[in-house]
Amino acid sequence: MSKITSAKVRDLGFDNARKNAARIRGGKTIAELRIPELIENSSALVIAAGPSIHRYDTAGIIKRSQFNGTIIVTDSAMSWCLRNGIIPNLVVTLDPHPHRIARWFGMRDLTEGSILADDYFARQDMDPEFRRDQLGFNNELLELVNAHGPSMRIAISSSVAESVADRVVDARMDAYWWNPMYDDYEDPESLTRKIHSMNNLPCVNAGGNVGTACWVFAHAVLQKTHVGIVGMDFGYYSDTPYSSTQYYKEIVDLVGPDRLDDVFVRIFNPHLHREFYTDPAYLAYRDAFLEMISEASRVYNCTGGGILFGPGINWISLGDFLSRDWN
Amino acid sequence: MGEEQKKEVLKGNFTTRKPVLADDMERDLTDEFELEALKRLGGSIAFVSKKKLLFGMDEGKSPKESDKA
Repeated sequence: MSKITSAKVRDLGFDNARKNAARIRGGKTIAELRIPELIENSSALVIAAGPSIHRYDTAGIIKRSQFNGTIIVTDSAMSWCLRNGIIPNLVVTLDPHPHRIARWFGMRDLTEGSILADDYFARQDMDPEFRRDQLGFNNELLELVNAHGPSMRIAISSSVAESVADRVVDARMDAYWWNPMYDDYEDPESLTRKIHSMNNLPCVNAGGNVGTACWVFAHAVLQKTHVGIVGMDFGYYSDTPYSSTQYYKEIVDLVGPDRLDDVFVRIFNPHLHREFYTDPAYLAYRDAFLEMISEASRVYNCTGGGILFGPGINWISLGDFLSRDWN
Repeated sequence: MGEEQKKEVLKGNFTTRKPVLADDMERDLTDEFELEALKRLGGSIAFVSKKKLLFGMDEGKSPKESDKA
């Protein structure tokens, strides 16, 4: 599992950390997130952009609840939250992808040409709204993020592309910097240690993906003892076409179009008595998450779908989690 | 030639010096495929197994000036 990171991601993350160095020097770090407003409650709700948030009245349940814990969301779920009137206490961004991630924030320089050059948003299952009239939707999202930016904190990784860092500044979000761990920081040749010595930022074991990173922020940075998670499927509903999955094109490149059934893994969810399917990357993220959780923080999976179940995971409804008094 | 055909052709026409553990070989191949798939698929960033979730948190309250970047 420690070898998951590809050389490509390491190189990209390091390169972005160098490019972001000036922004980081003038900024705050995630150590400054430990303020009373964010740590006084013992509970948090992590919202990721898995397909289940669209299969239930997730936003309605959250808005009707009296939940007073901290709401931490992935960059990919931020748009859905804002559209539904849910203002996160903290957004987390991590992925070093050179141009896709800024789309979650609304891009100023998006063109029909760049939309045609990458069909990811036309295929993906994380937020169906991104599939329609992409240019028009992007413009609406720009305005929405600009309107709420000043009232949102964002934990921004040194690994993100400059387009993301610039957009965070443009939207006047309150930014807190951190480094993701790339390898064993005790190794003298460690890239993590090298980047840390370069920018002195705290390093976070992000679990391979931004959803898990949100949980780490809730548990380890903000020291929440009860963390609910929603939209963390790590898998797909059986009616989702392979072409809508996160790594479809990479998997086709790897095994060809005729062997997809050999690559996607079908997993029976005993809590729901139904089957979901997943890919090697999501399966690895799920295994990593199960390895990371500890008794110190109780994890309540309120997703209502997907493959994240196992030791240490309490499977409950979102309404149940939000209605309990955790303090 | 498919894997099943290879097994049919190769079985029984020689004696190995060391016992062959077929299950382990298959598991190794599966692990190798998964590792190769993960390398190709990448992912957002790393998962570092058996390590603390945070490193350098206490000393990281404000980034120091550095000329190395």
